[in-house]
Amino acid sequence: MAKAVKIVLAGEGGQGVQSVAEILAEAANTEGREALYIPNFGVEQRGGVSVAYLQISDEAIGSPKFQKGDIVVALSERAVLRTQRYVDGNTTFVYDTSIEGIEDQLPKNAGRVLAIPAIEVSKEEFHPRVFNILIMGAVIGATGVVPLDRVKAAIEEKLGYKFQENPKLRELNFGALERGIDLVQKAQ
Amino acid sequence: MAEKPIQGERKAFLTGNEVVAYAAVAGEADIMYGYPITPQNEIMHYWTRMAPKYGKRFLQTEDELSAGFTTLGGVLSGAKAFTATAGPGNTLMQEPMSMAEMMRIPAVFVIQQRGGPSTATVIYSQQEVTMTTYGGNGEGFRVVYSTATHQDLFDYTIKAFNTAWKYRFPTFVLGDGYQAKMRESVTIYDPQARGIELIKPTPYLGKPGSIGKDREVTHMRNTYNTEEELYEVVMSMAKEYDSVAPEIVEFDAREVDDAEIVIVSHGVVSRAALSAMLELRGAGYKVGYFRPVTLRPFPGDQLRKVADNAKRLLVVESALGQFNKLVQTNIYGSAATIDTIFKPGVGVTSEEIVAKIKATL
Repeated sequence: MAKAVKIVLAGEGGQGVQSVAEILAEAANTEGREALYIPNFGVEQRGGVSVAYLQISDEAIGSPKFQKGDIVVALSERAVLRTQRYVDGNTTFVYDTSIEGIEDQLPKNAGRVLAIPAIEVSKEEFHPRVFNILIMGAVIGATGVVPLDRVKAAIEEKLGYKFQENPKLRELNFGALERGIDLVQKAQ
Repeated sequence: MAEKPIQGERKAFLTGNEVVAYAAVAGEADIMYGYPITPQNEIMHYWTRMAPKYGKRFLQTEDELSAGFTTLGGVLSGAKAFTATAGPGNTLMQEPMSMAEMMRIPAVFVIQQRGGPSTATVIYSQQEVTMTTYGGNGEGFRVVYSTATHQDLFDYTIKAFNTAWKYRFPTFVLGDGYQAKMRESVTIYDPQARGIELIKPTPYLGKPGSIGKDREVTHMRNTYNTEEELYEVVMSMAKEYDSVAPEIVEFDAREVDDAEIVIVSHGVVSRAALSAMLELRGAGYKVGYFRPVTLRPFPGDQLRKVADNAKRLLVVESALGQFNKLVQTNIYGSAATIDTIFKPGVGVTSEEIVAKIKATL
């Protein structure tokens, strides 16, 4: 039985990890594949680490949450600590280089660890607000789980009304997406 | 009024709470009564977004006790009414649910289980099984569908209305926080386009015509003066429940004929059980899968046969044995042994089930 690709995305509230998971899930769904996305949620109204669990498969998907991710992305210090439990020898662990002094706390058992300067690049080359789109690029670059054009179509679906008002936003988002793919491939 | 909410059928990618709201609209519910509680809130949100377009209504009450009773009031007046709740809200709602049993009021309750006891977590569990099947001060004259997928949520929410109004037992769609909040694909459809006849509600009280001339008096009781009187009523209800139970019971059994061990689970956990069974079969293990869809009435005879045949069951649930109590009671006398995976308030993955079976077979 073909196993689902399992992805964990974790960051601070507001970093946009839930949107990344939702758009990737919708991209896979429109491609006719099975996708299941579930956010973590608790009693907190704000703050806390936000975690998104995403599975994409060619067959029916089992339980909504899972033990180990094929790719685990952690975008803050707390997210790095929180996501250790989802890592094993088959996991690609991706974290942002701007998290200072985290080296000792990176998961030792990960299959591979990739550091990408997503926060820095999004700020300097694009706009801090497309940071999560750049992360989305990193996820598809690391997994190839959904084709780029499908992801672009899903972004268009979600943000098309904004792109109509300002076509430059499309360039900005798609640019960030491709740069994300590029960053993760360079890091490998 | 606007045209039908769903024309024909189409694929959608939704959260479970959205699916329930769509199903209630498609199932021609007239009104939802509710009080907010996580993780069912979005059923109310999506219902209130859609309802006005189709001439439907919503009332937010002051608590779950009131949401339950107003639902029953709506039903008595002739509306197809429903409510949704979870956790401590389910606890509070047991009193109106018991009244629905006693007075044979056909209401629909959607439960999205969260962690317990008490406030616990707002996330997920299967710890509301005992309360939903046998809660309140009664005998469990209820129908409970335990859903596993978004397709189930859509299909069984529509079905729940028909079951409730056909048999006049309160009917429950038992989901959980995972199903409520996750997104996956689902086919939503107009039930009539699939040949599903939706039962039209009629008023139970305040019927037209004058009493004694045009019609008999309607007398719906929930209080009795003597023990003997109550005994007669409860026993006749029990008899009726038992006689319709075989028509209502639903289950899914796969690969049980030659199985040496059968995984028994319900709801969202049965997704992990099914994955585990398929993986183990692929590796040559003789493993079966049994999932009761109705927890009340329970497919006891069917499971007993499976248990007698396989001689070993593995009962898996996100509670500390609430589902297992139903299993054991219903197969009492069977020589089958029972292994368990109990994880109260926590999800179960197929990997855990596979590991457990490999360790024990």
